[in-house]
Amino acid sequence: MLSLFMQGIETVFTLQILGLLFFGTVVGIIFGAIPGLTATMAVALFLPITYTLGAAAGISLLVGLYIGGVSGGLISAILLKIPGTPASVATTFDGGPMMEKGEGAKALGVGIFYSYVGTLLSIFALIFIAPTLAKIALAFGPHEYFSIAIFSLTLIITLATGSMVKGLFSGALGFAFSTVGIAPVDAIPRFTLGLTELNAGFDILPVLIGLFAISEIIKVAEDVKTEQQATVTVVKLKGFGFSVKEFFEQGWNMIRSTLIGTGIGILPGIGSGTSNIVAYMVAKKRSRHPEKFGTGIIDGIVASEAASCSAVGGAMIPLLTLGIPGDTVTAMLLGGFMIHGIQPGPLLFVSQGPLVYTIFVAMLVSSLMMLVCELYGVRLFVKMLAIPKHILLPIILVLCFVGAFGLGNRIFDVGVIVFFGLLGYGFVKCKIPQTPFIIGLILGPMAETNLRRGLMLSDGNFSGFLTQPISATFLGIAAASVAMHFYQTHRARAARKAMQPT
Amino acid sequence: MSYTKKREYVAGAFFLIVGLGYLYLTSGIPRKQFIDAAFVPYVLAFTMCLLGVLQLRAAYKLPVSEQAGEKDTADYRTVWKTLGLIVAYAAFLEPVGFPVMTVVYLFLQFIVLTPRDKKISYPMYGVIAVMTSAIVYLTFRQAFDMMLPVGLMSGLIE
Repeated sequence: MLSLFMQGIETVFTLQILGLLFFGTVVGIIFGAIPGLTATMAVALFLPITYTLGAAAGISLLVGLYIGGVSGGLISAILLKIPGTPASVATTFDGGPMMEKGEGAKALGVGIFYSYVGTLLSIFALIFIAPTLAKIALAFGPHEYFSIAIFSLTLIITLATGSMVKGLFSGALGFAFSTVGIAPVDAIPRFTLGLTELNAGFDILPVLIGLFAISEIIKVAEDVKTEQQATVTVVKLKGFGFSVKEFFEQGWNMIRSTLIGTGIGILPGIGSGTSNIVAYMVAKKRSRHPEKFGTGIIDGIVASEAASCSAVGGAMIPLLTLGIPGDTVTAMLLGGFMIHGIQPGPLLFVSQGPLVYTIFVAMLVSSLMMLVCELYGVRLFVKMLAIPKHILLPIILVLCFVGAFGLGNRIFDVGVIVFFGLLGYGFVKCKIPQTPFIIGLILGPMAETNLRRGLMLSDGNFSGFLTQPISATFLGIAAASVAMHFYQTHRARAARKAMQPT
Repeated sequence: MSYTKKREYVAGAFFLIVGLGYLYLTSGIPRKQFIDAAFVPYVLAFTMCLLGVLQLRAAYKLPVSEQAGEKDTADYRTVWKTLGLIVAYAAFLEPVGFPVMTVVYLFLQFIVLTPRDKKISYPMYGVIAVMTSAIVYLTFRQAFDMMLPVGLMSGLIE
């Protein structure tokens, strides 16, 4: 492990990779800070560029964008009271009131410090958990992989959505799109509509760019004409703005929120967008002064930022060990790995050990860069908030088109991003969650291929999926999570009925 | 009918149409045995159709209390214009070429998205559009060896 770590340090500490990490982190913070732009969009835009870079350099750039993008949201959450990304929604609850009380500098300092601590601790969790998990996963066969795919699909549907029917449809549709192209095992072409470009199926990146970036741009068009440009107050930062006593007072809050963030990050499909709110609610519930939450105290910012940023390391665990993305950005990173012909999963730790540790080191360096950049570059990021959206968004759309075209030098992919952009906008309008679609698209082939392989191994008998202990456990948890969701929905409906006047 | 109820009906109809369309396409896959290339698509098609029916039922049974409050305030004129420009940009990118089409798209899109309380500055929009197109084209052509389509400018650039 130590020698691999040293190799990682050697690879990362070159001018090219350090430069890319710095660039990625700064651009990520800008994307995170500007409301309407997200870390997902930043990674989507820069993915095609990594094609021309080596695997280590390309993935380092994406890691920088990811870490910067998740953390950057705190800047607008505190200065504008508008969360830059879903990861910093809970930061507005206390960051905004602190800004109003004239404690904006302290709020920013606390946010920056605890987002760094959260990221750092979750990376340590990643470094220690991932190799062990990968060793266990090496023993997994088709039965286990099929069950993990089904478990992941059901979990995101039951955890991340309001409407179970819409979540299920989204996942099923993503799965359906993954069946386009040559079928696994018997190699029969399916749903290609006579288009040779579809023989290999949909490339995941144009789908992601369309679904997350293009649809977001169309959505912004809904109210951009009436939106008021926010006025930003520049604050001067002097250190982190909190005392050593306050640091020790926040110790347990920080550890608990980091654990919540890392745990939620590990669960497939949900990440920092959920963890910051859950950690905030828990911190409020456990606090000796819950009534002060929302009035401008640092406890709320510590909980939100530590949890949202610690989801970063958590989300990388299932990606690297099982090839299952922990959130939408890691779904993009999965695409980044595939560009370089790398398949994340347990074998990655055997065949590409140095690359795995390069990623670990790149994450550690990027989180430090994030801390320094946010601390000393806050004035630059504040200026970025003033760029008018009606100028910025069309330029981003052009870059999306270039990115999609650059993947295979074919105009077909440009058509794909437009198609999925329209589909994504339809999802937004009908309140259908997009994440199950992506997870369905990514895990669909894994589920189908392993279902068929598993059945071949057990002579067409389905019982193999239930007699293998790990496979049975995952299927059992999947069934339990669906049953639990139905039960909770039923109870909520009954409670609503009881409250209605007769 | 309230906005929420209408939205839920539209979602249900969409699920059902997609499910039936997928089922129709699945029926064209040649069958070999029970578990073959068509097995998973059939499962997915029937699931989507079932979800469509469940969604329509949920829309029909939507309680009155959940229908109130939500209103659609989106500016669809701007959305439609933006969609039109995006589709046109994609359609003409190859024949007209990236440099020219990007300038045209950006210039028009800036105008379409300009907030009502701001003045449209044609010269500034023109300069930003031309500069963005040139910088993006040259960066991707020179730094990343990307052959973006040049279309009408093929005689001048290549």
